[in-house]
Amino acid sequence: MNKEKLILKWLDNNLSPQELEAFKALEDYESIVKLSNYSTGFKAPEFNTDAALQAVLSKIEDKTVTKNNWLAPLFKVAAILAICFGAYYYTTTLDTSITTQYAEKTKIELPDHSQVNLNALSKITYNPKAWKVNQRELNLEGEAFFKVTKGSTFNVITEAGIVTVIGTKFNVKQRLNYFEVTCFEGIVSVEFENNKTQLKAGQSFVIINGNKIERQVTNNKKPDWLNSVSSFISVPLKEVLAEFERQYDVKIEVNNIKTNTLFSGKFTHNDINIALQSITQPLQLQYKKVNKTIILTRE
Amino acid sequence: MSKQLHKDICDKSRFEVFFKQHAKSLYNFLYYKFGDRLNPEDKAQEAFIKLWENCKKVTPEKAKSYIFTIANNLMLNEAAHQKVVLKHQKTKTSHHTNLSPEFLMEEEEYRQKLEKSISKLTEAQRVAFLMNRVEGKRFKEIANLLGISTKAVEKRIYGALKKLRQDIEEL
Repeated sequence: MNKEKLILKWLDNNLSPQELEAFKALEDYESIVKLSNYSTGFKAPEFNTDAALQAVLSKIEDKTVTKNNWLAPLFKVAAILAICFGAYYYTTTLDTSITTQYAEKTKIELPDHSQVNLNALSKITYNPKAWKVNQRELNLEGEAFFKVTKGSTFNVITEAGIVTVIGTKFNVKQRLNYFEVTCFEGIVSVEFENNKTQLKAGQSFVIINGNKIERQVTNNKKPDWLNSVSSFISVPLKEVLAEFERQYDVKIEVNNIKTNTLFSGKFTHNDINIALQSITQPLQLQYKKVNKTIILTRE
Repeated sequence: MSKQLHKDICDKSRFEVFFKQHAKSLYNFLYYKFGDRLNPEDKAQEAFIKLWENCKKVTPEKAKSYIFTIANNLMLNEAAHQKVVLKHQKTKTSHHTNLSPEFLMEEEEYRQKLEKSISKLTEAQRVAFLMNRVEGKRFKEIANLLGISTKAVEKRIYGALKKLRQDIEEL
């Protein structure tokens, strides 16, 4: 038996008595045994199995207590429900809003079948959910004509004031320093700075720069702008030009002209030259068109 | 090895038995391989906790190699393959005073040489060799624990022995 085999067998603690003798007779017997004996000194530090087991068991305990495995799927379901409910709530309470741009008009039917004509650069917002429970209320920025079906109170809230009706036709115009309500049918109640005013068919309520303006009764059945004409009765030129800008999507520059001058008249929405003439001729002005800018000067 | 009659060890008492059987050898294995810097005891415990958490997925036959693999990986995650130096624990000799100073000197010298030489062994050699010499484990057992063949264990241990003797001679 060769040396390597003997040593291996010895290492494996598998020597027969005779083989052990042979192993002892090896010349490196002593050095191997010495090496082996010293090697035992590399024993790992004492390991306390029981203490370690207790530590592991207590950690396992901790984990199972805090884990709450059966709750995890519930939390997932709850989270999904919360998101769905949140999304539902958000979308249903979300206000519907309709906006028109320059030179754009649109017609809207509200949930109660009332009709709204929205003039250029205007916006209405309302909450469809509230309308379902007969709370008829909307916010208006700009100008709109309303044909309200009969029913509960119908509120038009603007920055300038609140217009309240039950079932009627009326026009509301709220622009910078300008608030005008005209009733065309039925009765309209206007609340302005805590004062309520009742308008009958044909009557108007006009506030310009914070001052109330008396206006003649009109025989029209609906506002002129629905026929693509803007009409003014004693309105400052400033507002007339602003309306012009809204209808034609242009910029008007004035040179040395008093924009507080009152203007009565009309301009069409269909032809910019005719429209410009209808404003400039009565006031004896001249106009020059450069791209999208119109310059007005004295004659 | 005990017979595995059960499908898993998700049972506390079965787990405890398994722990008592293998915790110490796992700990020793980690110690021989990585030394004591990286807290082999903690890693051994962690491996058992992982086993408990995954007890449904790990069959009893696989459980032992599972904890060895897990613990080994936990160690490797931390060990940047630094050189492992194991401390030689001086065995207290009762006839301490009877020894001549020369002998003590020589003994100390030999011990230092051995410490150095063992640190030069490969991980595989060191683990197998120390399992065999320190714990008196037989080749088959070691092969079983490390998941290698008996022949490979023989090779490692004999290789370690040869290298150690050479190194000590040279030093």
